[in-house]
Amino acid sequence: MNRKDFLSAVVPLATVATAVAGTKKIKEEDSLKIPAYLKEGDIVGITCPSGYITREEIQPAISKLEEWGFKVSVGRTVDAKDFTFAGNDELRTEDLQQMLDDRDIDAILFARGGYGAVRIIDMIDFTTFKKRPKWLIGFSDATVFHSHVNRNFGIATIHSKMCNSFPADWSKAEPSQIETINSIRKCLIGEKMQYTAVANEKNRSGTGEGILIGGNLSILQNLAGTKSDIHTAGKILFVEEVSEYLYSIDRMFRNLKRTGKLDKLKALVIGGFKNKPDDAGEEFGRTVYDIVTEVVKEFSYPVCFDFPVGHQKDNYALKCGVKHRLVVSADGVTLKEV
Amino acid sequence: MLNVLNDLNVLNEMIIPPYLHKGDTIGLVCPAGFMPLEKAQTAIDTLQQWGFKVKTGKTVGSESKNYFSGTDEERLNDLQEMMDDKHIKAILCARGGYGTGRIIDKLSFKKFKKNPKWIIGFSDITVLHSHLYSNYKIASLHAPMAAAFNDEEYKNEYVQSLYLALVGTEANYKCETHEFNKAGIAEGRLAGGNLALLAHLVGTSSDINTKNKILFIEDIGEYIYNVDRMMYQLKRSGKLEKLAGLILGKFSDMKDTERPFGQTAEEVIRDVVKDYDYPVCFNFPVSHDKENYALKIGVKYTLTVDAVVSLNESSNLSK
Repeated sequence: MNRKDFLSAVVPLATVATAVAGTKKIKEEDSLKIPAYLKEGDIVGITCPSGYITREEIQPAISKLEEWGFKVSVGRTVDAKDFTFAGNDELRTEDLQQMLDDRDIDAILFARGGYGAVRIIDMIDFTTFKKRPKWLIGFSDATVFHSHVNRNFGIATIHSKMCNSFPADWSKAEPSQIETINSIRKCLIGEKMQYTAVANEKNRSGTGEGILIGGNLSILQNLAGTKSDIHTAGKILFVEEVSEYLYSIDRMFRNLKRTGKLDKLKALVIGGFKNKPDDAGEEFGRTVYDIVTEVVKEFSYPVCFDFPVGHQKDNYALKCGVKHRLVVSADGVTLKEV
Repeated sequence: MLNVLNDLNVLNEMIIPPYLHKGDTIGLVCPAGFMPLEKAQTAIDTLQQWGFKVKTGKTVGSESKNYFSGTDEERLNDLQEMMDDKHIKAILCARGGYGTGRIIDKLSFKKFKKNPKWIIGFSDITVLHSHLYSNYKIASLHAPMAAAFNDEEYKNEYVQSLYLALVGTEANYKCETHEFNKAGIAEGRLAGGNLALLAHLVGTSSDINTKNKILFIEDIGEYIYNVDRMMYQLKRSGKLEKLAGLILGKFSDMKDTERPFGQTAEEVIRDVVKDYDYPVCFNFPVSHDKENYALKIGVKYTLTVDAVVSLNESSNLSK
């Protein structure tokens, strides 16, 4: 089935689900939309909705995408600069809007994170995108898009490394770096994904199955109470963070809890959490393991630590909005797309 | 007399705790970060000079060896006891830091609702202020804490404003104008506090409703991009749209990223609220610095932004 036919197949299914459900609210997973997977010759657009990056810096990503058999369309925000932003809000909005609406672009890769997505999200018109969804790819500040698109349109997205993580010299890259970058391609061409993580005595064993959702913890807190705020009931939530103080990590986990995001999970996946060291005399006295264990102690779902996702070399591409099964045992952890 | 007052307060849909008299007892607690007793001593002495008795809680100058002034249970129990003790007429939080949010859902307000008293503090104490306002409509005091009394500063007008607020003197504050101010007159109840905490509370049971309120915010030590991000959260959660007025305190010791943000915190905030037409004032003396007037959260004030900015308690207009 080619991409253009994909939606005509999805729409009747959604209609059936609505009809069967009648006046009852349909379950989110019934209405989930998976954008068409990519095939050779498809076009990947690169845009910067947040921080600025140069054309030169994204060249390694362009070369790799082309090596994978895709064509690349570079947006106007690449090389644009307005202090920390890749151009002003208007330019970043227009560039992303054009890529969302352009029929010839099959997926959109964000060049880098930084800060700025939340400044433009409410100016983006998703009308065309809703009708013809395409993969949005990135992480960190791009958590704004994952959350917004999942919450409002039930469209799957890819949480993964971005252009700034592609090494200039592939031969010098670490194996985990190569593998995680290759995982973006696997996601994009529709391979069923499967991941493993090493056993950790802090893990809580068990099996959980549900839609995978999540991203950067600061961004999830920043979206609380807004129309981009995610619903987590019945889902597998993953979170990652970098360069925050432990007290701030604790506070953000309390936000997840107090906004009701932890009580009805199927499982919790904790990615990388390289925290900022405590200031002298302000020792927090708890590790990230302690913080998480404490905040989920009254729940019984499985919890896994040090999953390979985050601001680090081993940051695997994950399909947000797609059903996965997490198995946590004393022997290790597996996360499988189902 | 108290019953009559409370009846009036019910009509106003806001409970104003009784003001203090000479001989009343103020409880001192640390619901968040650790504070050694000697750093609270000047505050204790000053409260006594003001004519109050002071009851020092177990969390002040505790044996704690880490960040917090005690375990969650110890901090919870200390604050709970002070809240429930009929002989204590007000509670001064000795310092902020972080930790109030860890105990807020375990606090019982059953007795406190019947016997409300002023809870005093700022920064992390924004959690208590917001929670009291949104759940119980009980007024509280955003004001200097123990450290502000040290180094002879107990004499300054900001610490003195706490005394005046506690004994029920109506506030009439003034401050200089600022180039980003938007002129106008606003009347409404005050709500607000520390920006990071207000953002942190969005979507929780302690989240405040800002409609028709005069919102005030201040912050310290944040990255400018994060001030921008938090302002967007307030905006996107509907907190900026229907304000009566907006008071920006000081944004002290702001940090910038390696790639400069290109705006000051004040410029960031000016831009986020540019489409609204309520009065806005910048650099009002509410902050983590010395300049920090006592503000009664939940009480009606009139904000006048003109060649001079004034914030006046408007009890005569609130009936």
